[in-house]
Amino acid sequence: MEGEEDSQFDLEVISTSGVYKTPFSLIILIQLFIGGLVLFIVNLWFINSLYYLLTGTEFYSFGSKTEWYYWLLLPLNIYGNIFLFVFTVIFFSSGIFRILNKISPPQEGIFERGSKEWKYMHRRFWTAFFPIWLARALPLPWLDIIAYRSFGTKVGKSVVLYEGYVDPLFVEIDDFTMTSLNICIFSHLIYQDKVLIKKVKIGKACVVGPHTIISPGTIMEDFAVLGVNSYTEINQRLKGNLIHVGTPVRITLPIQSVEESQQKAEKVKESTISDNTKQKNTDSNLKEE
Amino acid sequence: MFQPASLKGDSPTPIDERIRKKFLILYIVIIILSLIPTSLFEYWYITLFWSETYFWGFFIALPFNVFLSIYLIQLSAILISVLFLKIINLIHNPKEGNFKRTIEDRDYYFWTIRNIVKKWPLYVTASNPFPWLKNRFTLRFYGVKIGKKAICDNSWISSEFVSIGKNVIIGMNSTILSFAIEQDNFILKKIIVDDNVLIGAKCVLLPGTIIKRNTKLSVHSYTNHNQVLEENSIYRGHPAKLKENN
Repeated sequence: MEGEEDSQFDLEVISTSGVYKTPFSLIILIQLFIGGLVLFIVNLWFINSLYYLLTGTEFYSFGSKTEWYYWLLLPLNIYGNIFLFVFTVIFFSSGIFRILNKISPPQEGIFERGSKEWKYMHRRFWTAFFPIWLARALPLPWLDIIAYRSFGTKVGKSVVLYEGYVDPLFVEIDDFTMTSLNICIFSHLIYQDKVLIKKVKIGKACVVGPHTIISPGTIMEDFAVLGVNSYTEINQRLKGNLIHVGTPVRITLPIQSVEESQQKAEKVKESTISDNTKQKNTDSNLKEE
Repeated sequence: MFQPASLKGDSPTPIDERIRKKFLILYIVIIILSLIPTSLFEYWYITLFWSETYFWGFFIALPFNVFLSIYLIQLSAILISVLFLKIINLIHNPKEGNFKRTIEDRDYYFWTIRNIVKKWPLYVTASNPFPWLKNRFTLRFYGVKIGKKAICDNSWISSEFVSIGKNVIIGMNSTILSFAIEQDNFILKKIIVDDNVLIGAKCVLLPGTIIKRNTKLSVHSYTNHNQVLEENSIYRGHPAKLKENN
């Protein structure tokens, strides 16, 4: 059944991404406000004491007197505030994300514009937008993995995914996988008035090369390698222990060990040298003749 | 969407180093002028709220202050750069054609000056953390026609000689270039994308391409110089070739 649905509008050919701006995207303002509110409550005491040091008056009197060394805590306070803001935004929006998942559980399939799944897909995207943007903007490569895990994406240990686009829903990435620069991992696909949602699975210790696209429904088995500048078709299965190359993926190459490849290179060198010498010999023979 | 900071999709504005040296002051002047309205706004905000009775209001309204100041910087940067562009266009009007990539060629010279003027506002809009009034909004100020309900915020679109129709979807990380540099030649030519076109992810449109109504360009393909893609059809490949015609 699913295969027939796919062939309805040539999804093999095209894959795009992009999400419409629904009114629900105003949730970013609420996330911003809640993050700021937590900052205010935590910083009230500290800023009050600094204000006392500056002017001699207080907003509130907390009892304990402030000392000069409070100024030394100011850099720590600024750096801590950034962390606090990001973690509160992630925590709050993951709560909203779970509520949305309970109202309409995410489903795979093809949905039309205006249907319930379409609406809730957009809502989930806009709740995940701001925290992941924040996590990506900070210079800490593990922060966006925490953000993804909080939205229910299965990300294994020591995974690299900070230099590309990854959908938050219906993506499974296993341990030790490495993704390279400027990649797109899509589990959704917008096609004029319709949207396709399908699960993407990436196995253990895979390597996804730079400038690649992984379309919805692809399954990468353990130790598979996707080559540079290639993309996968919908519902494609990449076998393990092989290198896959092509637009879309057509060619498979075996993975060689370093020793094997060196031996091959030496053989090629020797053959070229021997060929050259042979040619020279033949040339000299011709001249002599 | 959730792209890393290195791929935020600001439109390409390459600048020639030989010309950049002379106009560095112009770039700095634009940055300083665009920050003046925000600094005035911050001064008003602090004088209003920083007192013993309203101090809680200062902190509660702080997130909205950040929100507003980001958009104020963006808007003032756009308006000032548009003003400078109008003055520069009075001296030399931008036009399409094939030119030489030397300092003596006036078209190439003024193209780089225009890029210097546009660089800062385009950078600010691309690094905006909020999804509203992004690249589509700024590009419209520079004369790029973009229709309603077009999705094009995740892609690199040139800021001149581009027109995009209604309901167009442009995929993630695809580039639309209205300029090209080939050795010593420099080419400027208009790109026209008509209504209801769908362009896949990571496509590249080279200068002079015309995409007619309801066509679809497959993922990861690029078009040639001056290529015309016909109506109601599907294209794919390197360069794009006709695959299906409905």
